[in-house]
Amino acid sequence: MKALIFDSGPLINFSINGLLDLLEKFHQNFDGKFIITSFIKSEVVNRPLKIRQFELGALRINQLIEKKILEFPSSIGLNDKDVEKETFNLTDRANHFLKSQNYWINLVSEAEMSCFAVANALKKKNIDSLIAMDERTARMLCEKPENLQRLMSQKLHKDIIQTNQNLQIQQCKIVRSTELAYIAFKKGLIKLNNPLALEALLYATKFNGSSISFNELEELKRL
Amino acid sequence: MEFSSDKEEIEHLKELLKNTSSSLRESNSYNLNELSNQTIHSASITQHTEFITLAVLIYSLSKLITRKSKFPEKKWDNFVKRFCNELNNASSELQENNMEEFSRHIDHAKELLTTLSPNQRQDVEEVMKKSSINKAGKIFEHGISLNRTAHLLGITPWELASYIGQGKSMENQYIKTIPIKQRIKFAQDFFS
Repeated sequence: MKALIFDSGPLINFSINGLLDLLEKFHQNFDGKFIITSFIKSEVVNRPLKIRQFELGALRINQLIEKKILEFPSSIGLNDKDVEKETFNLTDRANHFLKSQNYWINLVSEAEMSCFAVANALKKKNIDSLIAMDERTARMLCEKPENLQRLMSQKLHKDIIQTNQNLQIQQCKIVRSTELAYIAFKKGLIKLNNPLALEALLYATKFNGSSISFNELEELKRL
Repeated sequence: MEFSSDKEEIEHLKELLKNTSSSLRESNSYNLNELSNQTIHSASITQHTEFITLAVLIYSLSKLITRKSKFPEKKWDNFVKRFCNELNNASSELQENNMEEFSRHIDHAKELLTTLSPNQRQDVEEVMKKSSINKAGKIFEHGISLNRTAHLLGITPWELASYIGQGKSMENQYIKTIPIKQRIKFAQDFFS
């Protein structure tokens, strides 16, 4: 059993790019579950359903939930209350990681951190997980938190102090919608016969929120 | 830290209100844009609603000034007078440390902008919406997460995702955290 945990970014990205069917194709040959938390559902279904511009995208994602392509943590034996509690714990830790003068900088929201809460809970059950996350800040906190301090000092022209806070998220593995699209292409799940298809696919994910640089994209094209 | 007890920020805000009034009276779009950007630095750190509302309002003004000929002259002049009056009152309340009244005046200023002209209401609302997304983009650039930023500005991650995708914020050297080959391997191993 494995679990791919979705943050809102890749779902929004694939929805805007008309690529949500890829999730169904991935799911068909996948021995595991695609998980979203209630925090994420709120961002990708509940709220956008009230906004006409995004209503269709929200309905499409909701259909994936109805078809059980996307499932909630309880489907994999996790307790919703425990996930919620761990989400608040991780959010609080992340939001007490950097400080400017007298202010703690609120870096993240519960939605992003709920993905790590699920990953941590699955680790305790020895279930392999991967987080699909386009978001830059939460990813940096997980993979190289000191870079976030450097980025913010540079951008804000202020001394940003990094604390010794244990973020408790460093063991998680993250991929972006760009890498998911790349794998889909290599697995032949993209039915677009054109030499430019891969490039078009990768750039489409970047332009809709995947936190990837142009250099990384070019490197990916050459792999 | 409570905003009302941060003397440095209060002085900064009073200066901002004063400069916004003078730039608005002079119809100086460039200055307003600069003032809005300055506000975003503080807004990214403190995340006080007042800073964020002001950043959006000031940026909206910088855009609307360039098309002020669309509004009847008398109406525009009256708006500028009333808007500056609200900012002045807000500043006085700040001096007295009366945060509730300060917020009320900022809300009034916002209302004056949205009701500037019934005929142009949709245009004004559109400018304010775009201003919110623009300011969200700036806060995101400063390192705050996408969902957190969207929440602060009262917009959705859907609106913000495409906006940030068009910008250059992902080109910063610090954003690359692990080699792309390693990340691809995560995905390949997971789906093998």
